[in-house]
Amino acid sequence: MNDAASALNLKHGAALADTRAMYPSIVVHNADRAADLALLEAIADWCDRYTPLVGLDPPDGLMLDVGGCAHLFGGEAALKDDVVTRLARQGLQACAGLADTPGCAWAMARYGETWVVPPGATRNTLRPLPLAALRIDPETIATLAQAGLKSIADIADRPRAPLAARFGQSLLQRLDQALGHEDESITPRQPLPSYVVERRFAEPIVLEDDMLGTIEHLAEELGRVMERREKGARLLQAALFRTDGKVHRIEVTAGQPLRDPKRIQRLFVERLGVIGDECDPGFGYDVIRLSALAVEHIDAVQSGFTDDYHANELTDLIDRLSTRFGMQRLTRQTPCNTHIPEFAVANIPAQLTRPDDIALIDRDTPPRPLHLFARPEPIETVAEVPDGPPARFRWRHVLHEVAAVEGPERIAMEWWRDEEGHALTRDYFRVESRQGGRVWLYREGLYGRETPTPRWFLHGVFA
Amino acid sequence: MSAYAEFAITSNFSFLRGASEPEELVAQARMLGLSGLGFADRNSVAGVVRAHVAAEEFKIKFAPGVRLVFSDATPDILAFPQDRAAWGRLTRLLSLGKRRVEKGECLLKLADLFDFIAGQNLIVMPPTQIDSRALGLLLGQLKSAASSRSVWLGASMLYRGDDARRLNQFTEIARDAFVPLIATNDVLYHAPERRTLQDVVTCIRNKVVIDSAGQLLEANAERHLKPHEEMSRLFRTIPDAIAETQRLLAKCRFSLEELRVTEYQEEKRSGFATPQEALVAFAEEGGKRRYPNGMPEKVRHALDEELRLTGELNYAPFFLTVHDIVQFARKEGILCQGRGSAANSVICYCLGITEVDPNAIELLFERFVSAERREPPDIDVDFEHERREEVIQYIYRTYTRERAGLAATVICYRGRSAIRDVGKVFGLSEDTLSRLAGTMWGWSMEGVTEERARRAGFDAGDRRLARALTLARELIGFPRHLSQHVGGFVITRSRLDEVVPIENAAMDDRTVIEWEKNDLEALGLLKVDVLALGMLSCLRRSFALLEETYGETRTLSDQDEDPQTYAMIQRADTIGVFQIESRAQMSMLPRLKPAKFYDLVIEVAIVRPGPIQGNMVHPYLRRRQNPEPVSYPSPALKAILERTLGVPLFQEQAMRIAIVGAGFVPGEADRLRRAMATFKRIGTIDSFREKFIGGMTARNYDLKFATSCWNQIEGFGSYGFPESHAASFANLVYASAWVKCHYPDVFAAALLNSQPMGFYASAQLVRDAEEHGVEVRPPDINRSNWDCTLENGAMARDRLHPRHAGMKNAVHSTCTLRLGLRQVSGFSEDDAKVIEAVRGDGFDSVRDLWLRTRLKPASLERLAAADAFASLGLTRREALWAVKGLQRAGDKDDLPLLARVVTPELEPDADLPPMPPGRQVIEDYRHLHLSLRAHPISFIRPDLDRRGIVAHDRLPEIAQGRSVTVAGLVLVRQRPGEGKAIFMTLEDEGGIANVILWIPTFERYRPVVLGARLVAVTGKLQNESGVIHIVAEQIEDMTALLSRLMNDELEIDTRGKSPGLLPNVKGHPRSGDALVTLLKDDSDLETVMPKGRNFH
Repeated sequence: MNDAASALNLKHGAALADTRAMYPSIVVHNADRAADLALLEAIADWCDRYTPLVGLDPPDGLMLDVGGCAHLFGGEAALKDDVVTRLARQGLQACAGLADTPGCAWAMARYGETWVVPPGATRNTLRPLPLAALRIDPETIATLAQAGLKSIADIADRPRAPLAARFGQSLLQRLDQALGHEDESITPRQPLPSYVVERRFAEPIVLEDDMLGTIEHLAEELGRVMERREKGARLLQAALFRTDGKVHRIEVTAGQPLRDPKRIQRLFVERLGVIGDECDPGFGYDVIRLSALAVEHIDAVQSGFTDDYHANELTDLIDRLSTRFGMQRLTRQTPCNTHIPEFAVANIPAQLTRPDDIALIDRDTPPRPLHLFARPEPIETVAEVPDGPPARFRWRHVLHEVAAVEGPERIAMEWWRDEEGHALTRDYFRVESRQGGRVWLYREGLYGRETPTPRWFLHGVFA
Repeated sequence: MSAYAEFAITSNFSFLRGASEPEELVAQARMLGLSGLGFADRNSVAGVVRAHVAAEEFKIKFAPGVRLVFSDATPDILAFPQDRAAWGRLTRLLSLGKRRVEKGECLLKLADLFDFIAGQNLIVMPPTQIDSRALGLLLGQLKSAASSRSVWLGASMLYRGDDARRLNQFTEIARDAFVPLIATNDVLYHAPERRTLQDVVTCIRNKVVIDSAGQLLEANAERHLKPHEEMSRLFRTIPDAIAETQRLLAKCRFSLEELRVTEYQEEKRSGFATPQEALVAFAEEGGKRRYPNGMPEKVRHALDEELRLTGELNYAPFFLTVHDIVQFARKEGILCQGRGSAANSVICYCLGITEVDPNAIELLFERFVSAERREPPDIDVDFEHERREEVIQYIYRTYTRERAGLAATVICYRGRSAIRDVGKVFGLSEDTLSRLAGTMWGWSMEGVTEERARRAGFDAGDRRLARALTLARELIGFPRHLSQHVGGFVITRSRLDEVVPIENAAMDDRTVIEWEKNDLEALGLLKVDVLALGMLSCLRRSFALLEETYGETRTLSDQDEDPQTYAMIQRADTIGVFQIESRAQMSMLPRLKPAKFYDLVIEVAIVRPGPIQGNMVHPYLRRRQNPEPVSYPSPALKAILERTLGVPLFQEQAMRIAIVGAGFVPGEADRLRRAMATFKRIGTIDSFREKFIGGMTARNYDLKFATSCWNQIEGFGSYGFPESHAASFANLVYASAWVKCHYPDVFAAALLNSQPMGFYASAQLVRDAEEHGVEVRPPDINRSNWDCTLENGAMARDRLHPRHAGMKNAVHSTCTLRLGLRQVSGFSEDDAKVIEAVRGDGFDSVRDLWLRTRLKPASLERLAAADAFASLGLTRREALWAVKGLQRAGDKDDLPLLARVVTPELEPDADLPPMPPGRQVIEDYRHLHLSLRAHPISFIRPDLDRRGIVAHDRLPEIAQGRSVTVAGLVLVRQRPGEGKAIFMTLEDEGGIANVILWIPTFERYRPVVLGARLVAVTGKLQNESGVIHIVAEQIEDMTALLSRLMNDELEIDTRGKSPGLLPNVKGHPRSGDALVTLLKDDSDLETVMPKGRNFH
């Protein structure tokens, strides 16, 4: 609950409906715990500056083991001030506690009035604090409170057996940890399982071939790591660290999860072919790092015996072409679920679609022309009102006599997209002219109901 | 022949498929000049009665039918029965399909149709992809099974592009099968503009957003009703297909009117030649019981007249059935009472269906049964709410599921549900939808206007939002699904499933028909309402306790006009009394001063949205308070209005005025009433208005009087309350008030044991009992049963609160009320029964209780938390500590770690800190929802005194118009109708204060009014005949003060801090003092205190 929410007198755990009744215009967003955790991790990274031993205490805490580091910052109090001030500068409000035991520090940060507990004062400092300061579950706290036991002193001074009988050992363990009777270590933050491999060179490399060779080697290594976890990369980045500190980062995308080193390397070849000039090795690269930025699950497959390399040829080609010319330039035609002919097909980047994703929509509509004009062409016609077929029509200055016709197929526009509210309904006809041409015409606007003078268009040509 | 009739019509009773109301379709068909129309909803006839009524109104030929949708590959087939017998077969076919599956669905196979095919006119609707062979085969099969001239192939020209080609195919198929082709337009809505709504309901049905609906939607707007000329043009190549519609229309000879003669079942006449004879015999016999000294002349005359009418109209079986049901209830000891127009007849009084002596009140059954209208008698019977299911199952058992069924209720889209569903189709976020829905109160039938949306903080210029709002408004009133009526039973002599399809209800063991109350009324089908009423449960318990404890026998028919009871009612001392316990009723009582039974009848009817909207309440009160002679516009109206001092209050009066005053024929008056009740009024209401006001002025009535009468009827439309209902309710008012007046202990126990019911929570009921001198004791494991019980105690009359001192001679109670374990929150009835069973001479320890009952420690914890171990000398905390320490060997909560821990017997004394009194009260509220120790407010009274806040019991001493500040827990917030005021009831240790907030004040203090548990209200005091209100000007949230209850020196002491450090509670709770941290684990404090109940 932040200050703004407290000012409105909102309550933790109140029903949303009740709150909304109080403030009808209140805007609600769902909690984003992942983002909160990411922020906490970012802060943990930042805290590396104080000590390498930083532990996460989600949702909102960090544990720093500053044993042996405090003097670097001018003592414990100064260290604590430094953390809080610097965080405050970044707009983060932090409460810190520093004590002999992690448990006591935790309690001080959240419930304490003293921020730095001098050595030996742990027990007395903790005594008046509420039980919640012991990091015990709320249910136990509630039960203890019902029995009238609320502060740490209430249980610290009590015979231990009845407490253990009712609340188990964990309560006493937490108490002992806070008081320092039992050791507790801070678990340093685990680095996320990542797919990063790098190679450092004693002598900087300059040649493109060496560079690509290195990438292939790295890809092989990366592939092994990923294979163990049944992963493949969709997005890869090669970071080229130049000796002068400049870093070139080259990214490639794959249409399917990938871990074949050859194919990975080839994608980088394509990419470098496009941007080659931008990567000037200068005096050479001394570190090359290859990382998989986005990975997806793929099953571990046995490679060897029969190599069904052909199955991958098309995606391989798509990846290479897309990498070379840009993702948007290589598209696949995908049917769309709409009645409107010109929107019935969309061009989607080929890398983003898979052939088996394209379930052909079961149309029971009459056939569509082979070639649909992007822009329907106006024609002049003679036709029967209200919805008769054209008898003849003039298209591109040529008059066509109608020999056979089927229709109309009436297609109304999608009213929910129609901002102005007067998109006209179309009556489509399949027409065969005496000359043998087969075209798709439509009348725009229903005669009488929508317009007194419908216009006519030619929208496509059948074979 | 030049005419066209449309048969393939899907109305909005094919839920979420059709997009027009039956009435709209019929009206449109009439306007287009069609020669007739048939309805064919998907496996349902739920909409046909409304269509039928509209077709009668618009004078157009109507053929009820069904679109049979099969679960095998069979194409849809429209079925239109040609006569009554065929209709019965059709509804049986549907019943068969519906009884097989869950509620709302229907599973039919083609083979099923053949069993019921005789007499059906069938149209086969070809699917989009035609298989000529299969279609030909199907037509052949149908033709040989049904009569050879009653099968058609339906053809539609829907502008699909290949219409002509398809039509050729159909012609060929039809020719080969020797079946004629019939033209239809496969209608989904009455006019092309409805395409948008049809698209929306399609999306709702498929749960998709409209942008991705694509080809789920129709390609164009052609599926509307089309006139003859247009259809002829479309079918110009085969004009015969148009002509066939006329041939089919002529073959559909069945009209729903024929169901009107459906006879009522007549088995319940044991040994008599005719039902009428049985009825006469039973009535006479009952009459002797009711009037041991002979029937008064007036009653004798009325009974004869009623019996004559009943015989003439053949309604005897109906009365006998109700009689039978009531007899069953009597036998099982289930309390019941009838109401409704026919219920207030002498017959029903003699049969024991009702308890209102027609001799004691005005004869008010003018609407009894009217010969000219052939309107079916209307009897609703209320049963105890806990035992109604027994009655329902008895009915199914006795009359079988083929012959008895519950009426349906059509659940319609209302403001909120409409915007929710439509909003989802438009992809509005869940949050946006909640905000939009939140702009409406509960069940509103109004939509969200652009204006309201803007006020809720939306961009009114947003096209998508505007469209969603418009369409949501259009959707309001559309049926969404069928549900079961609360208790309307239809029972027939012949099979009910040959009248209307029967389907499974959502509840187990219930079967429901497809028609709702209005449909049944329109067709004159008889129905008995078997309703549930909490007060009857309470009264049955009261009568049992009276008998058991005081040896006094009392029944519902004891109508002794007891002055002490009326005196209590006049003081508005009516908490817990049926109907007249609400704030609105209580503020009316001291003004109306009911002194006889009929006054209660009026009291019940007057505080209703109807009379309030019709603005009739104040004129009545004025006349009642100043008995000036009332002048009546005419003698005819005097007869109608005299008993209500010239002010129409009852539905019957409004109808009579329409007949007598405005010259309506009774049938018209009834249609008027119905027209007002339906939601989408199809333009007819204005013509009624003209006719009504015109009729009255033509008969020389004042225009103003005519207008006000009209307003009255309009108000009744949706909330009509008939006098006959009011009379039956008044009887329960009297019965419950009598018990409360003389035996407050019995009344409180019965009420508490019947919870949940009524207006007040148990805390108020207990407090009210205490004020009436009843000592109340807490639940205890050695004393309490599941239910509250009565123990020997003191004379209640010596302990009356001064406010009720006048009742000294009325109160006979001598018992103490022992709260039952049902008051312990979260404790189960089964567990309580175990305790009752094994208790014997009592339990001597927590351990003893645990070992003997084998209850789960979690259940025992609830008892401990509720402080139910006092008889063992254990405080709440000690009991909890003991329960927690029970060794749970073998229990599934057993913790392996504990195995080696010392046994409880060797434990040192727990020596827990005593619980401070304020905390005790909080814990009482938390686990019992009430406290017998003290009122929470009493702990903060000194603070309130310092602020000059007036205690509620001092309010009567304060002069009218003075500005006062009161404070209390918020018990109830109420906003009657769409009223301009909010009522708030506050409670402190001395009593209740009533606060009125006008809407602007409410809006200003909205968060406080709706969020706070404890408020202080400053405003002007109004005192009208002892009814005190405070008109709020300022409201302050004082909830934080309640934390005072948690505060006490003892607890602080244990932490070794000096009391000098005690924080100032008045300060902001976030001031950083130690108390804040202490309170952290009590942060749910506010959730413990009653949140206040909201009523609309």
